[in-house]
Order: sequence, then C-alpha cells, then structure tokens
Amino acid sequence: MNRKILVGIFDTEEHLVAAVRQAREKRVAIREIYTPYPVMEAIEAMGKKSRFTLAAFLYGLFAALGVLAFLYYTSVLDWPLNFGGKPSSAFPSFIVITIVLTIFSVTILSLFTFSIRAKVWPGKAYVLPDRRGTDDKFVMVFDKDTLGQDAPAIERLMKEKGASEVYEKEESSENVF
Amino acid sequence: MTNQDITIKEYTPGKRLRAISFVLIAVGLASLAYGFITDPQRAWANLLLNNFYFLSLGIGAAFFYALQYISQSGWSAQFKRVPEAMMFIIPVAAAVSLLLLFGLDHLYHWAHDGAADHDALLAHKSPYLNVPFFAIRIIAFFGLWILLTQLLRRLSLREDKEGGMRFFERSEFWSKVLIFVIALTFSLASFDFIMSIDPHWYSTLFALKNFVAAFYHGSAVIVLIVLLLHSRGYFDGLNSSHLLDFARYLFMLSIVWGYLYFAQFMLIWYANIPEETVYFHSRWADPSFKFLFYANIVLNWFIPFIVLISQKADKNKTVLMIVCLVLIVGQYVDLYDQIFPGTVGRAAFGITELGTWLGFAGLFSLVVSWALSKAPIIARNHPYLSESVFHHVH
Repeated sequence: MNRKILVGIFDTEEHLVAAVRQAREKRVAIREIYTPYPVMEAIEAMGKKSRFTLAAFLYGLFAALGVLAFLYYTSVLDWPLNFGGKPSSAFPSFIVITIVLTIFSVTILSLFTFSIRAKVWPGKAYVLPDRRGTDDKFVMVFDKDTLGQDAPAIERLMKEKGASEVYEKEESSENVF
Repeated sequence: MTNQDITIKEYTPGKRLRAISFVLIAVGLASLAYGFITDPQRAWANLLLNNFYFLSLGIGAAFFYALQYISQSGWSAQFKRVPEAMMFIIPVAAAVSLLLLFGLDHLYHWAHDGAADHDALLAHKSPYLNVPFFAIRIIAFFGLWILLTQLLRRLSLREDKEGGMRFFERSEFWSKVLIFVIALTFSLASFDFIMSIDPHWYSTLFALKNFVAAFYHGSAVIVLIVLLLHSRGYFDGLNSSHLLDFARYLFMLSIVWGYLYFAQFMLIWYANIPEETVYFHSRWADPSFKFLFYANIVLNWFIPFIVLISQKADKNKTVLMIVCLVLIVGQYVDLYDQIFPGTVGRAAFGITELGTWLGFAGLFSLVVSWALSKAPIIARNHPYLSESVFHHVH
C-alpha cells in the first residue's frame, strides 16, 4: 500500500520558507519540498548540507593523479618512443591531456553521484505529489505516518504560514512517458 | 529601502599613511639615485619594471571597472570607487614613461645607433621598432588611457550629483570603448615595453598573458584595498558574499593566468625551435632565474588556486589578504623574470630593486588615497547600489 502524505500548497516562496522554518523549529521531519525553481533560502532552511563539492574535488584529484600515472606508465615504462629527441617523461605535454580528462572525469562522476543520491535515472517513474509544483506553486510534503498525532498541528501550522490549500493523499509515482 | 538610506562615509587618508608614503617615495628616489650612480643599466631596468608594474595595476583596475559596467554587475557597485581611484596611477605612469624615453639606449638593444645595420631581423622590424615611432606610440597609448579613464571618472562624479540612469548608460558605452582600446593598446604596449627587450624573440601569447596578469594583479590590489578600508571602518556593507565573489575573481584569474603562462611555455618547449627556446634558455641557464621561473608559477598560480578552492577560505578575510599579498610579490617576480635577463643579464637584487619598488608603492598609495578622498567612498546614485549592499549568494 502506498504511503499517506500531507500536502501543503503555497503561493509564494516567502510563505513556504516561513513554514519550513517553523516546522524545523518544532523538529518535525519534512519529507520534501517542491519548488518551480531553486529557492536557496528554502534549501538552507531545510538544513540540507551538501558534500558534493568535496566529492567533486576528490574525483578531480584522483582523476588528475590517475591520468598522470597512466601517461607515465604508457609513455615511459611500457612503451617508450623517441619523438624528435624529446625525453620520454615529457611532463609539460602530459598536462593538457590531464586537464581535459580531469574535467571529463569530474563531470561524469558528479553526474553519476548526483543520480545515485537523488535516485533519478533514465526512465524512472517520478514522484510528484502535486503537478502545480512545477508550475507556479510551492509544495511542501509531510509523511502522514511519521507525523502521527502531530498531523492536525502541522495542518494548522501550514495554514497559519499562508498555505492556500492543505490536503491528504496517497503517494503515487507517475511515469514519464 | 532606497539608496538614500545607505550611510556614506567620506574617506580621509590618515596622517600616518601620508607620512609613510612620503618616506617611501624618498627611499625610492634615494635608491634610484644610488642605482644611477653605481649601475645605470640596472637603474633603468628597475624604473621600467616598476613603472610597468604599477601601470598594469591601473590598467587592470580600469578593465575591472569597465567589466562591471558591461556585465551590469550589481554586487560590486559599492566598491567601484576603489578601481576608480587606482586608475589615477595611469597619468603618473605616463610621466615616468616619458622619463624612460631617455633611457631607451640602456634598455633596448634595437634602440642603439646602427643596431639594424648588421642584423637582418632588426632591419626588418625597424619600420616599427624605432625610437621616434616608439615615443609616438607610448604617448598615444597613454593619451587614450588617460582620456577614457578620466571620462569614466567624470561620469561617475556627475552621477553622484545629478543621479538618474543616464550616467550609467553612458558609462556602460564608454566601458565598451575602453576594453576595445585596452585590448589593442595594452597588447602593443607590452610588446613595446617588455617583449622588445628580446627583439629577436616573439610570442603571440605574450600580450594576452601580460594583459591577464594586469587584470589579475589589479583585481588582487582592489581586493586588498577594499579589505584594508573595511578594517578601518569603511565599507561596512562588506559581507561574506562579497568576499566570495572577490575570491572567485582571483580564483578564476589564477586559472586563466596559469593557462596562458603554461600555453606559452608548453608550445615553445614542445616545438623546440632554437629562435624561440633561446628565451627560456636564458631563463634556465642561470640557477637564480630558473628558481624565479618556478617561483613565478607557484606564486601566481599554485598558491592562489589551491588556497581559494575552498569556499570557507574564500570567505575568510585574513586568507584573502594573504593571497593578495602573495600576488603582489608574484607580479614582481613575473615581471622581473621577463625584464632582468634581457637588460641586466643577471639576477641582481639589492638596494636599488627593493628601494625602487618601495618608492613606487609609496607613490601608488599616495595617489590612490588622494583620489579616494576626492569623492564619497560609495557612489551614492549608482543604480545597483542597493543590490550591492544586500548582495547575498549561496
């Protein structure tokens, strides 16, 4: 059986941010928020911290070292060739390839990391509690079961903070195609 | 909230700063005099190096200023008086450059009488590289730079008095003109002042590299002046978002600088054509110059790049200030490595070098603090001022 969720619809981002802050203050777990565009204040208010930049940095570091090691292995250790009297270990000429492959690795690995963390991949059915969240409304979603007895209080909280509509529904995923 | 609600302080340079500036100028003059008595060639090289150094800071500031208008950047609007004040070093550099015209004989091989007689390449270049045309070019370049930067300054001051969008639009237009003029004239000026020291050698990336160095180190000095003024109680609107943006500027420019520096070196190293590699040979044969060659990369690319990767470090004023100070040394090392092998021939560093740089630094701080005191430190009627004060990035 699908889970029951509590959905709040807000008309402006300010109201949404206020509701998020209030809910966080009361230590109520917010399941997710959906906004038509990135609202940085809401993301900050959700208390979400990203270690994405650290991951990207590490990918870049290891990619650069890996590419340099590979180039050293191929052109010095395994199969040294004489190019116009150049030393086999031609470090400056390795750099360009290293830069290009580092950028490539960081991009691809970051994309995969993001996909795994956000659980999105091609052809996956998506969860959209309210379609208007992609249009001009700001949507806030709570898990009804984890709320338990707090549910009416949360309903009131959202209305107080300016929700234009609050309703319950069963969560369902829709197919893209 | 409107612009009128923002408190705007007038800047008055402290007595101590003025006194220090004058002492530094005196030190500079004394060490230059000492240099001219002991080793005129070296003294002229120092004059050229420091003049180009501080000229590049002024040009870099002018480019930074123009870029803010062209991109219609809001975040930097409250700091625009700083690059504006730095532009005032250009007329000073013009005066020193006129002085340099008397020392061409000591600096440039091509300026010697009869240099082109037995040298096919110099003879080929002589329609361009000759003393009268050199003087005409330098005067024309400085004329254009002074004209355009002073025009922008006057528009900015009139905007303070009268307000309205008119001055912003006109500043934007003249900023567009300025970057085209700088692109052409500063390229040629770097050819004239520096690349013609080694007249047999040429590099097409040379101008771009020196232009980016000017933009890079000009920006670093802008950041440094903003931070210093902030620590004295001005620019109380400076927040972590501004610091992040300033740091991103330096970070981005460190990459561009490193890219161009490496591209110039790598192509010459890889092609291995004697007439090109001779430039780097003369910088590698001497261990001191070789040390400076690597120090240049470490100071101007490696340290800023590694330190400014982290956003936490970007928002730290002390870290940012240290990076700016590293870059101030970095620009000196870069220019030293370009100028000294061809003029002095050995890596000499003594009273003349240190004293002359200090003298120019004193002159720079005197001129910039004077220009800053001539107008309110924040441009009151700038259309983006509110955006700048409430700037917030994530």
